[in-house]
Amino acid sequence: MTVSAVIFIVLGLFFFTGGSIGILRFPDFYSRLHPAGKLDSMGLLMTMAGMALYTLRDFSLPAIITALKIMLIVVLVFITSPTATHAILDAGVRAGLGPWTAPEKKVKE
Amino acid sequence: MRTLGLIAAFCLGGLLFFISFDFPSWGDALSPASRHVSPYYIEHSLEDTSVPNIVTAVLADYRGFDTLFETAVIFSAGLACFFLVRVSERQVPAARFYRHLATGITFRIEKGGRLPEGTGEFERIDSLWVPYDVIIGMTCRLVVPFIQLFALYVIAHGHHSPGGGFQGGVIFGAAIILFAISTNLRRTLKRMSERSSALLSSLGVLIYAGTGLLCLFMGAGFLNYRALAAILGVDQVAARSDGILIVESGVGIAVAAVMVWIYYNLSSAGKQDEGL
Repeated sequence: MTVSAVIFIVLGLFFFTGGSIGILRFPDFYSRLHPAGKLDSMGLLMTMAGMALYTLRDFSLPAIITALKIMLIVVLVFITSPTATHAILDAGVRAGLGPWTAPEKKVKE
Repeated sequence: MRTLGLIAAFCLGGLLFFISFDFPSWGDALSPASRHVSPYYIEHSLEDTSVPNIVTAVLADYRGFDTLFETAVIFSAGLACFFLVRVSERQVPAARFYRHLATGITFRIEKGGRLPEGTGEFERIDSLWVPYDVIIGMTCRLVVPFIQLFALYVIAHGHHSPGGGFQGGVIFGAAIILFAISTNLRRTLKRMSERSSALLSSLGVLIYAGTGLLCLFMGAGFLNYRALAAILGVDQVAARSDGILIVESGVGIAVAAVMVWIYYNLSSAGKQDEGL
């Protein structure tokens, strides 16, 4: 149980790291929202699942209740996080921000 | 003048920095703070108040005066925001915007004209920000009741876990603000008017101070909840626990209402007609 919890948490941290790198490296507002919205949700699911498994080491009723509460956090974030990303993106479109396009390569003469 | 201010700031900062060397190091077991009051709280708070969470016991019982004035500070913040920002006279907006619900066509009515709103045919919309978004509206409608429930849980569960009046009140106020953001200010004002938010914020402070005064009338010190044992019909230790709950709910009401009140005034620049 502990081993699988560690595996889950490490996987989740991998997703979080990918999300942070994506936010830093992507070129514009809309593409930065992509790692911010998606990888954070996935990383949260992984880390929270790991923590839920870790609390279930000693299998008892309070541990099950705690694990269920932890999974409730995931449910809440899975409802709200895509909505927040959608709202931010919508605000960007309404404010008139255009999407990024690749700059044309200058041909050296 | 600027150099003078800079010199004064540097002198004061250097003095503070210099003095900070005389402080006991962090977590020092021999420092005065952890030798006199802290051990008493840690050893006796459970038998004194039957509250497992020492922070709540210290905050609302041993240091009840502090928290009373903190609540008063929050109330006065809401009041100050009201007096500074609120525009009292009614200004006619340059244009009002309406959406015809059946077709989705937007109307622009100038010179203070109005379209009938109550009939369910037209809906007034904001001029700057016109969200017509099913996703955000539905999600917020789904989430807001759970956030409010969680806020009540945080207030009521402050005895046993981290939480209490301030935190729960902030969560409750944030739920109402989330509703205001996802729909609009006028619909929120219809649900919870400015008057009721002002009255509720003063009611919260009144509950706190009134509990203290009640203790005074029952013949004990101000905010000494032991005196409430006769009214509540429990022993003195349980009365302290119940007193903390009463006071915390007062704090929660005050904080939630003040947050909503400040939001109303700041988001609409005091006009409370169109807002975020």
